[in-house]
Amino acid sequence: MEKILTKKALPQWLIKLNAYQIYAPVKKENHWSYEALDKPESIRLDHLNTIQSPKMIIFPQREVFFEFHNAEGNTLVMKEPASESSATVIFGVRPCDAAGVTHQDKVFDGHFKDLYYWKRRNQTILVGLACNTPPSPHCFCLSVGGSPHSTAGFDILMTELEDSYYVESFSKKGDTLISLAGDIFSTPKENDKKDKEKAHSDSEKKLKRHIKDLETVPPKLKDMFDSPLWEEESLSCIQCGICTYLCPTCHCFDINDEKDSSSPLSGKRVRTWDNCQFPDFTMHSSGHNPRPDRASRLRQRIMHKFNYFVTNYKAYQCTGCGRCIDKCPVGIDIIEVLEKVRDYGK
Amino acid sequence: MVALEDLKQEAKNVLEGGTVKYIIGYKKPAVGFMAVPAFFHKPEDLDALVWDPTCVHNLVLFLKDEKKKKLGQKEPDERPVGIVVKGCDSRAVNVLLQENYIDRENVYILGVSCGKTGMVDLKKVRKYFKGKIISQIDFNENESFTVTTTEGKVEVPAADIFAVRCTECITASPVIHDVLLGGDSVRTPENPFGSLEEMESKSQGQKWDFWQEQLTKCIRCYACRSICPMCYCDECVVDTINFAVYPDTPAEEKAQKIKWVEKSPTTSENFIYHMVRAIHLAGRCVDCAECERACPMDIPLRFLNKKLEKESKKLFDYDVGYDTEIPSLISSFRDEDPEDFIR
Repeated sequence: MEKILTKKALPQWLIKLNAYQIYAPVKKENHWSYEALDKPESIRLDHLNTIQSPKMIIFPQREVFFEFHNAEGNTLVMKEPASESSATVIFGVRPCDAAGVTHQDKVFDGHFKDLYYWKRRNQTILVGLACNTPPSPHCFCLSVGGSPHSTAGFDILMTELEDSYYVESFSKKGDTLISLAGDIFSTPKENDKKDKEKAHSDSEKKLKRHIKDLETVPPKLKDMFDSPLWEEESLSCIQCGICTYLCPTCHCFDINDEKDSSSPLSGKRVRTWDNCQFPDFTMHSSGHNPRPDRASRLRQRIMHKFNYFVTNYKAYQCTGCGRCIDKCPVGIDIIEVLEKVRDYGK
Repeated sequence: MVALEDLKQEAKNVLEGGTVKYIIGYKKPAVGFMAVPAFFHKPEDLDALVWDPTCVHNLVLFLKDEKKKKLGQKEPDERPVGIVVKGCDSRAVNVLLQENYIDRENVYILGVSCGKTGMVDLKKVRKYFKGKIISQIDFNENESFTVTTTEGKVEVPAADIFAVRCTECITASPVIHDVLLGGDSVRTPENPFGSLEEMESKSQGQKWDFWQEQLTKCIRCYACRSICPMCYCDECVVDTINFAVYPDTPAEEKAQKIKWVEKSPTTSENFIYHMVRAIHLAGRCVDCAECERACPMDIPLRFLNKKLEKESKKLFDYDVGYDTEIPSLISSFRDEDPEDFIR
C-alpha cells in the first residue's frame, strides 16, 4: 500500500492510533532518545540518531521472567509478572535500526525460540523514516548491506517529501495503521513517486563514510585469531560497555536471581543485557578467564560481527548506525579497525 | 602557549634516547576533529602527535594498564612511560603517587600548559557550530579558540565552547613534570565551585527528583568508572563476580561473596552504584570530568565529584593532588578535624 500524508496531518494520524502504545524520538538537551509519546502533536521527525536504538523497547535492558517467594509450609511460589499486552508502534525508526531488529530476530528465532523476545516483537509495529540526510556523521549503512531507505524490518516506511510524507506499507499490520486514519491519506501521484525515488537516490550520495571491499574481511578474519593487530587496536580501549550496549544488534544477556529478602526467601529472576567488553563476561568460576585482556575482547567484538555472524546468518552483525564510533570515549573507530583487518599483511 | 614542535621535539628526544619505553599522547582521529589517545612506540610515529584544545582525555588512566601489564611480565622493561599531561591530569599523577599506586620513576611527565583557556566541550561545540564540519580547533594567546570549519576560520570566545571544569580550574599548568611546555599558568577563578550553586539552592525534594531522573537513565556501561584514573581496584563492587578467585578458592568462599549491587539498571541499584563511585572519589577526584564526558546518557556526573571536592575543602581544608607526602583524605584523620565522632 502506498499513500501520501501531509506533514500537518501527522499528529492526526497518531491521534487515531490511540489504542497503541506509541514510542517516538524525543529531543533532549544534547541528544535524541526514544520515549513513550504522550502528546501526538509533539511529534517531530527531524531527529538525528537516537542515543539508543529501538532495541531498548523490543529487547529491554531488564526483564523480569518471574517472581518467587517462600510461602507457608516451605513451598516455593513462582509467579509471572502481569504482561504488558498493548500493541506498540515505534515511529521514526531509522533503516539501520530496523535492520538491527531483523538481526535480533535471527538470533532469537533459532533452534530455541525466545518466547520473551517474541512476545514483545510480535506486538511491535515499526514505522520507519528514510534518511534523506545522514542522521550521524559516522553513518555507513551502505557498506554493510543496508541503505538510507532500506525497507528491511519495516511495517511502514515514510519518506519525507517537501510538504508531505510518502508512506509505504509492507505488512498487514502496516495496512491496518493506515486504514485507521484512511481519510487523511491521499493516493500518490506520479510526481510524488518520482520525488520519493529522487530523495532515495540522493540520500545515498550524502553518506560520508564507507568501507571498501568489506566482503574480503570475513574470510580474512578466519586466520587472524592470533594476530597482533588486536593488541595494537585495543591499546586505548577502557573496556566500558558503550559500544555494545548502544549497538542495535548486540544481544548478549545474563540471567540472575535478584533476592529481595533471604528470610523468608523472595526475589525475582531477571534477564539483563550483558557485555563482551566487560572483563567478567567470560570469567569462569575456577578463576580462569579465556578472554583475559582488552585485545581478546576487541577481537571478539569484531569476530562476532564480521566472522561468526556471517557464517551463521549470512549477514554482517552491524548495520552501520555509527553509534559505537560516535560514543566511544577514546575514539576507537570500527571502520578504521575493519580497514586495518582488510589491509593487514598487504 | 605550547608550541607543538617543542612538544614533539621533547618527546622525540626521550623516545629516541631510550629514556622512555613509549609515549602516551594524542593524535587526530581518522574522521572528525576531537583528538584521541595514541601510543607512540617509534620516534617517527611522533609526527602524528598533536596538542590542541580537543585533547580532553586524562591519559593518566593508561598508567593503570601499564601497571597491570608489568605485573604479568616476568622481566618487565623498567624504563618509565612518557606521558603528555595537562594541569588537571598532573594532579591525578600526584594522587596515584600519594597512594603508592605508581612510583615516580615509572613515569616521565611531558607537562603541557593550557595557558589562558583549556579544553573544549564537544556538546557545546556541536551546538555552537550546528551542522558545520569542523576540521581543527586551536589555542590562541587570548581567551579564545580558533575554529576551522569548511567555511573558514573563526575566533570563538573560550567561554562559549569551554568545558565547565576549565572555567573553575586553578591549575592550568602541570604541578608535577619532567619537562614543562608552555610555562606556568596561574588562574584565580572567581568562584571555583560556582557550577554547584544552582543545584545547592534547590530543595531536598527537587534534588531528589532531579537525581532520580538522571540516574534512571544510567545503562550501567561503567564508562564513568572505566575512564577514571582513580578507579583502579582489582575488584569493583559492581562487578558480578569476584576477580580474586583462583583455582583453589573453595566453593564456599565463592558462594559467600556479597552482591552489593544487582546487575539490573533500576533506579535504586543505579543510585547505589553512583553513590559508591562518588564517595570513593572524595578527596581523590582531580576534576578532569572524564566521567561526565564519557557518559553516553548525558548524566551530569561531574556534579557529584565536584560537590565532594567542595566538602573536602570546606571540612578538612584538603586540596587534591598537590602534595604527595600528606596522607590521603579518606585514609587519615587529624586531631583538628571538625567532626569529633571519630575520636
